[in-house]
Amino acid sequence: MEELLILATSETQGFVSIDVWTMIFTLGNLLILFLVLKKFFFEKIRKVMLDRENEVQAMYDDASKSQEEGLRLKEEYEVKLSEANAESEDIVRNAVRKAQLKEEEIIKDAHAQASAIMKHAETQIELEKKNAVNEIKNDISGMAVDIAAKVIERDINAEDHSALIDEFIDNMGDES
Amino acid sequence: MNVQVTGPKIYFTFDIFGLEIPFTETMRNMLIVSAFILIVCLWLASGLKKVPKGKQVFAEWLVKYFYNMVEDTMGRHNLHFTPYIGTLFMFSIVGSLSSMVTLKPYTSNLSVTLTFALMTTVMVWFRSIKTNGVGGWLKSFVDPVPVILPLNIISEVANPVSMAFRHFGNIAAGTIITSLIYGALASLSNMVLGWIPNDFIANIPIFQLGLPAVLSLYFDLFSSYLQAFIICTLTMVYVGGAGPEGD
Amino acid sequence: MNIDSEAFVQAASAIGAGLAMIAGIGPGIGQGFAAGKAAEAVGRQPEAKSAITSTMLFGDAVAESTGIYGLVVAMILLFANPFV
Repeated sequence: MEELLILATSETQGFVSIDVWTMIFTLGNLLILFLVLKKFFFEKIRKVMLDRENEVQAMYDDASKSQEEGLRLKEEYEVKLSEANAESEDIVRNAVRKAQLKEEEIIKDAHAQASAIMKHAETQIELEKKNAVNEIKNDISGMAVDIAAKVIERDINAEDHSALIDEFIDNMGDES
Repeated sequence: MNVQVTGPKIYFTFDIFGLEIPFTETMRNMLIVSAFILIVCLWLASGLKKVPKGKQVFAEWLVKYFYNMVEDTMGRHNLHFTPYIGTLFMFSIVGSLSSMVTLKPYTSNLSVTLTFALMTTVMVWFRSIKTNGVGGWLKSFVDPVPVILPLNIISEVANPVSMAFRHFGNIAAGTIITSLIYGALASLSNMVLGWIPNDFIANIPIFQLGLPAVLSLYFDLFSSYLQAFIICTLTMVYVGGAGPEGD
Repeated sequence: MNIDSEAFVQAASAIGAGLAMIAGIGPGIGQGFAAGKAAEAVGRQPEAKSAITSTMLFGDAVAESTGIYGLVVAMILLFANPFV
């Protein structure tokens, strides 16, 4: 027992004892440590962390703000774009309509012209026909006169008569 | 078997104005540990940059750990207590861990842990008086009925006493058990190798090599952390409970 | 055999210290119970493991007080005996 436990001697304090000087020393030590660490460790590092947090927050705010701005602009552009689309469609439609109108007009013109030409040609043909008929009439009348003259010039018998008629008809065939 | 269980050694005694002020092992170790904490913390807090790197990551983790601890236990409105809690935590845990470098841990001295506990009590009283006024504080002793006054006083005294004894008892028991085991292992080694006539071989501490490390892991690391955590948590709970409710 | 009074007091103190350590039973049971409940809680809510662990450690340390008181009494009887 004596070997196992060497009790407090005059050079040591008791194992379970309260020493006022140790308490005062501890208190002073703890307070000094606390004050120094508070100023130069905890609050210093805390400040850096808070600063960074605020900065990051500001950055995020900025980013979200610019994102909002971007979205707004995008919407605006989309509206503008759709407007432009509608306008261009309008323009195209107008142009198409105009072109159609023009086309129709041109076709109508062409038809009119063609029919005019046709009419002209028909009248011309009619005229030509009339002329030709007139000419034939003239010819026939001339021939009749010729024949009459021949008949008068000669003494005509029956054979002569028929020969004359044949000749006449042959001439007619040649001429026409 | 020679195991010494003693209090702190007295190195010398100041004699000022007739007061005998002893300078003890506890005080010496406390100075060493405080200097260590100061140097490490000031080094950690030096050259802070906006983007943390290397030691600053650890420093910020540490500070954040303490702030989170205080916020979880006391609420956001009590964050200004963090420096004290953090200091107390580091002072306690590094003091207890100093047994690993063969310093006698000063937290195994009852006077030291009692100082921690009394600090908490004084803070609680100040906070209570600040919140409720002196009248309100005194009135809280006779609440709800005056008959309960002695019980309230006892519980008011019991809190710091139990805090002090808990911290002291755990660390002191750890040191005692560790030294008992060292002694036992030494005599065991002696028993196994003692028959060898060569003095050098006979005194090789074969059993003291690995086994105490495992126990030291519990009694030094785990117990030190746990007791530092407990005394800080209790301080936060008591001080937080004495103050006004947060949002 | 001759027993002087100091040896008698020391022997009685050693027995008293041993008896005081019976106080260790209570915290042992209590902490075991707390640890079992904590294991149950972790099983039910694995995501709250860290909170459960720290709460359990805190509760354990507070529950340990009685055992520590017993320990302190034992230590006082052994190392700072007021009766010797």
